[in-house]
Amino acid sequence: SSSITELLNALCDCSLSGVSWKRRALGGVSKEGFHRALKKRAYGALLSKLFQDGTKGSALRPSATARTPPRNKVLMMCFDLRVAGCREEAEALEDRLGRLREGASSGLREVDSVLELLVCLAGSTPSPPTSF
Amino acid sequence: YLIAVFSVTMASAANTNMNAVRETMDVLLEISRLLNTGLDMESLSICVRLCEQGINPEALSAVIKELRKASETLKVSENCTN
Repeated sequence: SSSITELLNALCDCSLSGVSWKRRALGGVSKEGFHRALKKRAYGALLSKLFQDGTKGSALRPSATARTPPRNKVLMMCFDLRVAGCREEAEALEDRLGRLREGASSGLREVDSVLELLVCLAGSTPSPPTSF
Repeated sequence: YLIAVFSVTMASAANTNMNAVRETMDVLLEISRLLNTGLDMESLSICVRLCEQGINPEALSAVIKELRKASETLKVSENCTN
């Protein structure tokens, strides 16, 4: 039950894992200073997106993609994976989606929002190298 | 006696809910990995809690991408000084 501020702080901390601060301190970049700069960028991104949403709602209708439920978006991704010849990945994704409980039975209040977030972040990092 | 029964029922309900949360989190992490979102269990847990606080998922994805850009810049400059 942490506040949004505390959770955003924690997210900034996560993104700084693996950075060596001993060496940084010699170069004049302190952890606290960089953390502050990160928080500023995080709030900037959050607020600009929220303000954009405010103008969109009043002037335009939401697009068809925006109205598509996140589960259907994942199914569309499965279809794309099959078309691209990645049958195993598509089946694994369909299987996990089938195992994901809906609504209150999932134990989370916003399971669809989390799924929407995963859809937004899909492919944002390179896929792990395949082992032979 | 009724209080004892009530507390046992409540404890069992809490346990069931904890199991459901754990199971859902595991499935979400697997979906996250299959989609190459770059989220680990710790950051996914924070994101789940932010979504539960009402943060818009699209806005949250913009925040995560922005944080990645910033920390990447820092890591690249670290490699250059090495």
